[in-house]
Amino acid sequence: MRTVLLASLRHHTRRYVAAALAVVIGVAFVVVTGMLTGAMREGLTADVGAPVAAVDHVVTVDDPRAAARLVDGAAEEGVPALTLGYAMESVAREGVQLAASADIAEASLDPALQWQVLEDGRFPSGPGEAVADVNAAKSTDVAIGDVLTIGTGKAASDVEVVGLVDSPPALGASLYVPWQVLDRFRGTLWVDSVAWGGTEELALGIAPGATVEPAQEWVAARQAEISRGVDILAVMALIFVAIALVVGVMVIANTFAILFAQRQREFALLRCVGVTRRQLRRAVRVEALVLGVVASALGLAAGMAMGHGLVALVRHWFADMGPATLPPAWVGGAFAVGILVTLLAAWLPTRSATKVAPLAALRPDTGVDVRSAAGRWRMVLAGLFLVGGTVLLAASVATHAVPVMLVGGVVAFVGVLLLGPVLVPALIRLVGGLPGAGPVRRLATGNAVRNPRRTATTAASLLVGVTLTTAVLTGLASSRTELDREMDVSHPIDATITAVDGPLDAGLAERAGALELVADVAVLDGTTATIGGVEVPLAGVGAQPGVVRGGRDLVPDDSVLHLPYAVVDELPARLGKQVRDDQEVTVTVAGRERSLQVVVSDGWGRAGLVSQATLAALDPAPQPVALWVRASEGADAEDLRGDLAALSGAAGAGLDGGYSQRAWVDLQVDILTGAVVGLLGIAIVIALVGIANTLGLSVLERGRENALLRAMGLTRTQLRRAMAAEGLLLSTVATVLGIALGLVFAWVGVQVLIASVVEDARLTVPALQVAGVALVAALAGLAACVLPARKAARVTPAAGLALD
Amino acid sequence: MTTTLQDTATAASARGLTRTYGAGEGAVHALRGIDLDVPAGRFTAIMGPSGSGKSTLMHCLAGLDAATSGSVTVAGRDLAGLDDTALTLFRREHVGFVFQAFNLLPMLTAGQNIVLPLELSGRALDRERYDQIVGVLGLADRLGHLPSQLSGGQQQRVAIARALVTQPAIVFADEPTGNLDSEASAEVLDHLRRSVRELGMTVVMVTHELGAAAYADDVVVIHDGAVTAHLTEPGQDELVAALRGRRA
Repeated sequence: MRTVLLASLRHHTRRYVAAALAVVIGVAFVVVTGMLTGAMREGLTADVGAPVAAVDHVVTVDDPRAAARLVDGAAEEGVPALTLGYAMESVAREGVQLAASADIAEASLDPALQWQVLEDGRFPSGPGEAVADVNAAKSTDVAIGDVLTIGTGKAASDVEVVGLVDSPPALGASLYVPWQVLDRFRGTLWVDSVAWGGTEELALGIAPGATVEPAQEWVAARQAEISRGVDILAVMALIFVAIALVVGVMVIANTFAILFAQRQREFALLRCVGVTRRQLRRAVRVEALVLGVVASALGLAAGMAMGHGLVALVRHWFADMGPATLPPAWVGGAFAVGILVTLLAAWLPTRSATKVAPLAALRPDTGVDVRSAAGRWRMVLAGLFLVGGTVLLAASVATHAVPVMLVGGVVAFVGVLLLGPVLVPALIRLVGGLPGAGPVRRLATGNAVRNPRRTATTAASLLVGVTLTTAVLTGLASSRTELDREMDVSHPIDATITAVDGPLDAGLAERAGALELVADVAVLDGTTATIGGVEVPLAGVGAQPGVVRGGRDLVPDDSVLHLPYAVVDELPARLGKQVRDDQEVTVTVAGRERSLQVVVSDGWGRAGLVSQATLAALDPAPQPVALWVRASEGADAEDLRGDLAALSGAAGAGLDGGYSQRAWVDLQVDILTGAVVGLLGIAIVIALVGIANTLGLSVLERGRENALLRAMGLTRTQLRRAMAAEGLLLSTVATVLGIALGLVFAWVGVQVLIASVVEDARLTVPALQVAGVALVAALAGLAACVLPARKAARVTPAAGLALD
Repeated sequence: MTTTLQDTATAASARGLTRTYGAGEGAVHALRGIDLDVPAGRFTAIMGPSGSGKSTLMHCLAGLDAATSGSVTVAGRDLAGLDDTALTLFRREHVGFVFQAFNLLPMLTAGQNIVLPLELSGRALDRERYDQIVGVLGLADRLGHLPSQLSGGQQQRVAIARALVTQPAIVFADEPTGNLDSEASAEVLDHLRRSVRELGMTVVMVTHELGAAAYADDVVVIHDGAVTAHLTEPGQDELVAALRGRRA
C-alpha cells in the first residue's frame, strides 16, 4: 500500500494545495497569536520589579492618605519609601496645554529609589524639578529646561524638567515629580502601594490596616495579574482562530470530498486488485495525515516568520512589546490543531469514498457526474435546528440571557448550514434566473447547482465569515448609536471656553470661529457672580444654541441656576451641602444679592447657566463669559484641544468639553471594529481559498465537458465568463444570505445586550460598511475564479477531448 | 491512389497538411503531408488503425487543432491564420461534432443539449428544422430526459441532433459508436446515414471499425499520417484489401 500511497500523494499534490493552504493559514494564525501575546506578556512583565528592587517590602494600602502617612513617617524615621501610583492631571507649558490628562508618578529624591533609567540630564534634587518619560517627551516635544504647569486651579504647580528617563511600560508614567508636588493632587491621585525600605512593624505602626509583603512576592503577584490580562486577550484572539479553523474544516472537507469523488475509479480499481476496504480507508487517512503534518509544519514556519515580523513592527511604535517568543506549548498546540483539523475534515469524506464497490472501476466511463442530494433526515434535522435555534433566540430576547442567545445563534446557524444543499442551489437558481440571462449565465447556473452538497459547503464557508462580520459590524454600529446618545446627554458641547477673571476678549469668538477644526461657535453673554466667596461666571442662555449636540435642553427656567458639580465642589463645605440639600443658593452680582433655585448638573464647563430674563435682572449690561464650540466633522481631538488651548490660554480662560471623550469613545469603537473585522477577515480569506479550490477542481472534472463546449462554439471569453459567473453566483448567494442572517443575529444581539441597559435600543445598520462587505465578498469571489478560469480557458478543445 | 471527385462540391479539403507534436529527437509526426477533398452531401469515413493519425486529421479539418504546415479549407474558408476566437466562431457557424463519449452536458436535458449550439451563437431556432431532425432521429419523446436517463444509443442520437441543428456545412463524428454495443451502433450509424440522405448533410466519421465504415459512401484510409486510399462506395473486399494493402 505504501507504493500506492506515495504515488498518489505525488500525483495529487497540486490538488491538495488549497486544503493545505487552509491548514497553513489556521496554524499560522495560532502561532502569530501566541507570539504576539507572548511578546506582550514579556514586555509588560519585564522590569515590573524595578521600582521595588532596592527595598525589602511593599506596603499595600487601601487609601491614598495612608500612603501619604507612610511617606511622611518614612521621612521622619529616615527609611526609604516610594509611592507606586499616579495622578491624572493636565500638563501645560507656557499656558498651552500639552495633555488634558497625563499620568504623573513620584520621582524619588533618594538615589537608591531612582529606579528609572536616566537617558539624559539628571534626577530631580528638589520639589521644583521633574523628569519626563523619554517617549512621552518625544511626542509632546518636551525638552530639558522646559517649565511645565501641572494641574489647574489652586493645586497648579510649576516644575522644571531636568532629565529624561526610560521606564517600563507596565509601571511607567509620563512625568515623575517629587512627592511634595504629587501630594497636591489628592483629587486624582491613586496610590495603592508603597515600596518600603523599613521594617514591617514600622509600616504597620504607621498604617495599621495595611498589608506588608516581601517585594519579591509583590512582583510575582503583579506579573501574574498582567499575565492574566494577556491571557484574556489570547483567549479572545483564539475565538477568532476557532472560527477560522471551522471554516478551514469546511474547505478541507470539501476538498477531500471532491478529490475522492474524482478518484472513485482509482479507488474501485484498487479494490479490484485486492485492496480491502479497511486498507483503502487507512491509506486515504494516512494521506490526510501526511497533508496535515506537512501543512502544519509549513503553517508553523509561516506563522513564526509572520510573528517575528509583526512583533518587530509593533515594537517599532510601542515600547510595551517585548521580544518575540513562542512558548513550546503554543508550538505543540498549533501543530496538533493543524493535524487534528485535517483529520477531522477528512473523516466523513473518507468513509463515503471508500464505500465504492470494486465493480465501479469496470463500468463504462460515463463521465464524472457525482450527484449528491440532500437526504430527508438531513432536512428533518435542519428543521429541528432551525426551530430550536429560533425558540432559543426568542427566549434570549425575552430574558436578556446572553448564553441562551449564543447557543441559539449557533443552533440556528447549524440549521441553516444543514439546509444549505437545498437552500443554496435554490437561491443560485433564483439569482441565475434573473431576467437578462444569456447562455453563459444559464450554463454557469447549471454548473453551480449540479452538485448541491458541494455548492452548499463552498457557500457555507463564506457564509460563516460574512454572517459574523455583518452581525459584528451592525452590533457595533448600534452600540455606537447608543453611546452617541449617551454622549449627547453627558457631553452636549464639544468644547467650552469659559471666562476666569473678567469677561472674555471680544475677538475670541471670531478667532475660534476661524479655526479650521471648528464648525460653529456660540457666544454666551453673562456676568460674574460670587457664591459663598467663590467667583462663578454666570452665562445667560436664551434659545438652545445650535452648537449643542443631541436633544438635551440647556435653557434654564427663569430664576433657576444650573450649577456644575465642579463649582459646587469648590464651595465651602457647608454651603455646598446646603446647595445640594435645599436646591437654593444666594448669588451676589455687583453687591446685589438674589436667591435662585439650583439644579446641579454637568456638561458645559465651569459656569453657571441662567435664563436671559434672570441674567437681565442680575446685570443689565452683560458681557461675553463663555464660548461654546462645535467641532468640525472628523476633527482630530488633540489638534482641536491644542488650538483652543492656545486661544483660551492666551485669553486667560478655562477650557473644557466633551469632544475628546467623544473622540476617544469613537476611537475605541473603531479599533474594536477594525480588530474584529480584521480577525474575521482571515476566516473569509480561507473561505475564498475554498471557492477557488472548488472551482479549480471542478475545472479538472469538467475538462472534457469544457472541451466539448469549446468545440461546439463556446469562445474562450465565454468560457471564462461562465466560470466567473459561477464564482460570482456562489459568492453573491453566500453574501446575501450571510448579510440577512447577520442582520437577524445583530438584531437579537442588540435586543439582548443593549436593550437590557438602554431603553428602546434600535438596530443601526451601517449600510456603507455592509455594502462594503458585500462588495469585497463578491469581488473576492470573482478574484477566486481568475486562476481556475484561466486554466479552463487555456486548454485547447483538441487537448481537452483527449483528457481522461 | 488519391482520387478527387470533380463533379461534386467540396465541403472540406486539405493540402500538404502536416501536424507535428514536439520538436527535435522526440518529435511525433502525426500527419505527413495529407491532400484530401471531402465531398459535400456524402458520408465519408476516415479509417485507420490506432495511432494512424485519423483523429488528428479530423481535429485539423474541424479547426480544433492547428496544422503545423499546409492548408485546410472548410466551407470555402481557409482556416490558416485564424485565431482561437475566430476559429471558435467558425466552428459555431459551420461545423457540427459527435464524439465518442462525454458527448452531452449532464445537467441539461436532451432538448436543451440539442439547442445549446444555437444558444451559444445567439441564433434563433428554426422550429421546422428542429422538428424534422428530432423526427428523423426518433427523439420526440425523449427531449425532457437528462442524459443519465437515456441509453447510450439515445445519447449519441441526441448528440447527432445537436450537431445537425445549426445546419453546419460539415459534421465530424469521432468514433461515434466506440462506446456502444452492436445493436446501438447499427442504430446510430443508420441515423447518421439518414441525416446525409434525408437532410442533405455532409458527415465525416472517424472509425477503426470495418462494420461502421460499411455505412459510409466514401472511405479514406490513413496509415502513419498519410492517406493510402480514397475509395468511393467500396465493397467489403475492396475495403479489407485497402486496409491490408499497406501492411503487405
